[in-house]
Amino acid sequence: MTLYHGEPNGPSLAVLATLFAKEVRAELVRIDLESGQRHTLPCAQEPQVAMSVEGEGPVLVVEGEAMTDSVFIACYLDDVGQGAALRPADPYGRWEMMRWCRQVTERTAPAAAYLGCRAHPPKADAALLERIGSVDVRARWEQITAGQFSADRLADSQTKILQAVEKIEARLDARQWLMGAFSIADIESFAWLAGMVPLVPAAFAGKPRTREWLERVRVQPAVAQALSLARSADPAASWSVGPEINRWG
Amino acid sequence: MHSVTLYHWEPNANSGKPMLALMEKGVAFESRYLDLLNFDQHQPDYLAINPQGTIPAMLHGERVLTESTAIMEYVDEEFPGPRLMPEDPRDRWRVRWWMKLMDQWLGPSFSMIGWKVFVGPAVRSRDPGELKAAIERIPLPERRVAWRKAIYGQFSQEELKESRRRVALGIRILEQELAKRPWLASDQYSLADINGFNLAYALPLSQPALSNDELTPNTLRWLRAIYARPATKACWAMGRTSMVKRVTILEQPHIGPGQVT
Repeated sequence: MTLYHGEPNGPSLAVLATLFAKEVRAELVRIDLESGQRHTLPCAQEPQVAMSVEGEGPVLVVEGEAMTDSVFIACYLDDVGQGAALRPADPYGRWEMMRWCRQVTERTAPAAAYLGCRAHPPKADAALLERIGSVDVRARWEQITAGQFSADRLADSQTKILQAVEKIEARLDARQWLMGAFSIADIESFAWLAGMVPLVPAAFAGKPRTREWLERVRVQPAVAQALSLARSADPAASWSVGPEINRWG
Repeated sequence: MHSVTLYHWEPNANSGKPMLALMEKGVAFESRYLDLLNFDQHQPDYLAINPQGTIPAMLHGERVLTESTAIMEYVDEEFPGPRLMPEDPRDRWRVRWWMKLMDQWLGPSFSMIGWKVFVGPAVRSRDPGELKAAIERIPLPERRVAWRKAIYGQFSQEELKESRRRVALGIRILEQELAKRPWLASDQYSLADINGFNLAYALPLSQPALSNDELTPNTLRWLRAIYARPATKACWAMGRTSMVKRVTILEQPHIGPGQVT
């Protein structure tokens, strides 16, 4: 299998860390998600890539099938890999984890990508933008490269980060990890929030449990291994177009 | 075994997903019908169960579960009965990928159109003061915006056009996918099919120019196959509004463009 990934931040970090935690062997191919290189891959026009709700995330190709969406790739790797399970064993615990990850990907991730792209704008040239198969992903690229960020959305995104950290702080009361044992929920939440510490400092102020948890996740061997692949000084400052901010209800 | 109580609206969209999953598994449950059009979901007794005021919610003994797609996975894993997730890990990935596309990309566009033509007009004639108070009781800010737009007809032409574009594109990629295999995400009936049917069961009626036996034969085959299942028939019989009775369009043996009756 081949994993096309960007700098270890956001969904690329989540999939790389899971891959290492589960000792899955894959060819790692670096792509520059911040310049839209994903749209030059041979599988770029397949619906599962072009229409991925996650936006500019990694792509895992297994026996010719291109798979996207970091949480679901992580579930796949958890199924096929070795070592400790990264999901709770019982159905209720698994429900809790999938619900948690749904809230992260639907509410936190779009906000983080929006704020991240404003602070560290990705760049794609016009010729590359034309290759983007999804009209709505292309529209998000065009707005970001033109520097069009709405005040309402920026404020809403800050609120979403604040709410996510509040949830984590409450959840970590008397526990080390979000689901009891280290899981995909920790990896996915860390991957989207690590870069928010300098951008939304107010969200992390007075949140000692969250700060300690961030450091615990960061030094987990699989996460550290993923972060060691960084080519930039600060991979948490590497952003590309993320999931769409909820457009309806 | 602990009892199961499901708080739901019509067998449609999010409510219909756990309803149909429970019925496919053969799990008996107590049905608590919430009338979405009467804002039952924002009343204090329901908010005590689900503070977000979204439908559905499921009680299993002491457990309270929300988020319809995550509930379906719980139902499949927790209860005996036919498995609704495939064994193969890659098939399972495909099930989840399709459910997310439908939940977060295609579904909201269908829903916007549905709320404009059905939900908004159904409640608009009520007392203006009552409606205003009802909107103010909605816990989630994004749901308040959604209801306000539906009730006061505030959808912009631009956002409706975008929803129509997504519906048309979604119909095309569903058809392409269903040409590859009997069911949406694998060779066995799965949660992806349950999810998809809840979104698309009335497609040949609501989008006759885009979805019919000539343009989307695989989609029509798929919808009819799901409708033929006893659990689906029993589930849709629980519907109370004209909206869900549209499912009977699938009893027509052939639906051509413009032939919808």
